[in-house]
Amino acid sequence: MLLSVRDLQTHLHLKRGVLRAVDGISFDVAEGETLGLVGESGSGKTLTGLSLLRLLPKGSGRIVGGSIKLDGQELTTLSESALARDIRGRKIAMIMQDPMTSLNPVFSIGDQVGSPLRNHDIARGAALRSAVVDVLQRVRLPSPADRLGDYPHQFSGGQRQRIVAAMAIGCTPRLLVADEPTTALDVTIQVQIINLLRTIQADTGAGIILITHDLGVAASLCRRIAVMYAGQIIETGPVRAIYRTPSHPYTKALLAAIPRLGAKRTRLVAIAGQPPSLIDPPSGCRFAARCTQRMDKCAEAPPTVTLSDGHSAACWKLV
Amino acid sequence: MTAMLELADLTKHYRTKHGVVRAVESVSLRVEPRTTMALVGESGCGKTTIAKMILQLEQPTSGAIRFEGQDIATMDRAALRAYRRQVMAVFQDPYSSLNPRLRVGTIIAEPVLAHERKSRAELAKIVAEVLDVVGMPANAARLYPHEFSGGQRQRIAIARALALRPRLMVLDEPVSALDVSIRAQILNLLADIQTEFGLTYLIISHDLALVEHFSSDVAVVYLGSLSEAGPTEQVFATPQHPYTQALLAAVPLPDPDHVLSEAAAMGEIASAMNPPPGCRFHPRCPHAMDICRTTPPVLTGAPHAAACYLPPHALRDAC
Ligand SMILES: Nc1ncnc2c1ncn2[C@@H]1O[C@H](COP(=O)(O)OP(=O)(O)OP(=O)(O)O)[C@@H](O)[C@H]1O
Ligand SMILES: Nc1ncnc2c1ncn2[C@@H]1O[C@H](COP(=O)(O)OP(=O)(O)OP(=O)(O)O)[C@@H](O)[C@H]1O
Ligand code: SF4
Ligand SMILES: [Mg+2]
Ligand SMILES: [Mg+2]
Repeated sequence: MLLSVRDLQTHLHLKRGVLRAVDGISFDVAEGETLGLVGESGSGKTLTGLSLLRLLPKGSGRIVGGSIKLDGQELTTLSESALARDIRGRKIAMIMQDPMTSLNPVFSIGDQVGSPLRNHDIARGAALRSAVVDVLQRVRLPSPADRLGDYPHQFSGGQRQRIVAAMAIGCTPRLLVADEPTTALDVTIQVQIINLLRTIQADTGAGIILITHDLGVAASLCRRIAVMYAGQIIETGPVRAIYRTPSHPYTKALLAAIPRLGAKRTRLVAIAGQPPSLIDPPSGCRFAARCTQRMDKCAEAPPTVTLSDGHSAACWKLV
Repeated sequence: MTAMLELADLTKHYRTKHGVVRAVESVSLRVEPRTTMALVGESGCGKTTIAKMILQLEQPTSGAIRFEGQDIATMDRAALRAYRRQVMAVFQDPYSSLNPRLRVGTIIAEPVLAHERKSRAELAKIVAEVLDVVGMPANAARLYPHEFSGGQRQRIAIARALALRPRLMVLDEPVSALDVSIRAQILNLLADIQTEFGLTYLIISHDLALVEHFSSDVAVVYLGSLSEAGPTEQVFATPQHPYTQALLAAVPLPDPDHVLSEAAAMGEIASAMNPPPGCRFHPRCPHAMDICRTTPPVLTGAPHAAACYLPPHALRDAC
């Protein structure tokens, strides 16, 4: 297995208390496979990705339990220097959710896309320049050779997102974590980014973790889906099982909340309420307060029920 | 009837080191009172630039913006002040659009204070009212933005925009940073306040299913120019411009068995610095003819208009 995560727990030690951002999640990603991580905003998707790279918020973020294995190598106990040298940006790369925070406003985009290639000694000088142009071409930035000297603010939101993608794929990582890589893009370009991710995968055999709000993008790119809610994976399964027979009430509600092309205009089915605080999460089912099917039992933590091969969900309704 | 907002040959060119970026090229649009006009189109096609000109954050290179028939470039100071309080914006990013150092109450009161003399008590009342409209408790006023989730922050941004009782709201990707279930809440909220306060919306979104669900009219922008415009229902049911057709074919549906059209992914994005002559879409268009390569087509038809030489327009124009 390319990546095996077991019972991962990542906490943020804040003034207000300990926030259990990732609370005991397990998943695998095989070589050449795309796993979709979908779910509520604030459910811990980004922090799951950042945990793999150990790029947690400085001072507060800590992996407090569980294991992360890449090609069998345990990463949670690896030294910071070894992680920086061999793993981060090299074997595991991340396309960050907010392109503006991963781009430095005072450096040209040519410099920034070239920087991982330089740092990992992949190319220098003229070869570096042509490698940068090449990778910018692969992400379909218009006239890349002319724009190497331009700065991030001179590009549109979607163009910046592609520049960030270029930074991540430059070193042909084994595992690519793509955090909302298509959010700011219009669909014809979204298709191109989807195809780009597919091509990278076919060329390099990289595994991909796709973090997305967009259930359409997830459906078209992923082989398996893990649905997160309040720090936990509440349902996971092959893509068809998740979309055809969603079983957890949250997954069902999520699929009902999206406007669909060509569907009749009706009021959207919003999920009432807010997810619980992760500082003092309820001991029972974390979705209970918003769940339309809640029962008394739901005050206790629901067991994970296997529904079919590789498809499981954590809900008392399914027991 | 006078349009609420009218753009007439609106053009914006940015001068950069490497040349001129033709971000917006001669865009003309009418937005009628109490309707919702959606701007859709590729990343970098000029949507935000149009919004910025309406909000006077950028100066048009040429062309006019008329608000209820009056050109904002020739308004006197009093008229401009009135304009600025009637036109409000909600931007994509609920994380950076709220000043982190100010309490929510102050953030919401800010635009009111800029326009009106109000006592503390009157301000507090306005703040409480708009917080209530967006479904937030009154005590939220005393907290800071970082104490809220993304969806809540977007509610705060909407409350802030509502505080002056505007008539036109410019919504630039108002929900794309939000979770699906929260998106539905915000869209339902926006629809409710539109009815309640008789608002007119100009919404920018790359989510076509959302646009179909939410807007009454739609304008499709390609490389700074309008390629198609009309009532949403007609444009989605019978798209007339090949670009609109490609867009609709490219929407990834939340269905794992849906195969994305390859045609949708074709072509390099032309650069706004070097737009192709003739029809700006011609290098990507499967139907391009000789005339398309030399002479820009004119947007024709009402209310459903397209800028394309293909029938029915070619036929109609020939008569
Ligand atoms: N730097 C930080 N300081 C404090 N809390 C944080 C920080 N980063 C994340 N959190 C909290 O940790 C939890 C998980 O956050 P995370 O960013 O992983 O969510 P997510 O699932 O990626 O959400 P989204 O879909 O909105 O991006 C949230 O409750 C969030 O508020
Ligand atoms: N300050 C600037 N200087 C130079 N070029 C700019 C500037 N701002 C925007 N541009 C260019 O103008 C064009 C239009 O940009 P704009 O931000 O309006 O696009 P958009 O349609 O909102 O795209 P997105 O969907 O990615 O947000 C792009 O080619 C962009 O690179
Ligand atoms: S365990 Fe109970 S509250 Fe939780 S999702 Fe299932 S039915 Fe709803
Ligand atoms: Mg995130
Ligand atoms: Mg924009």
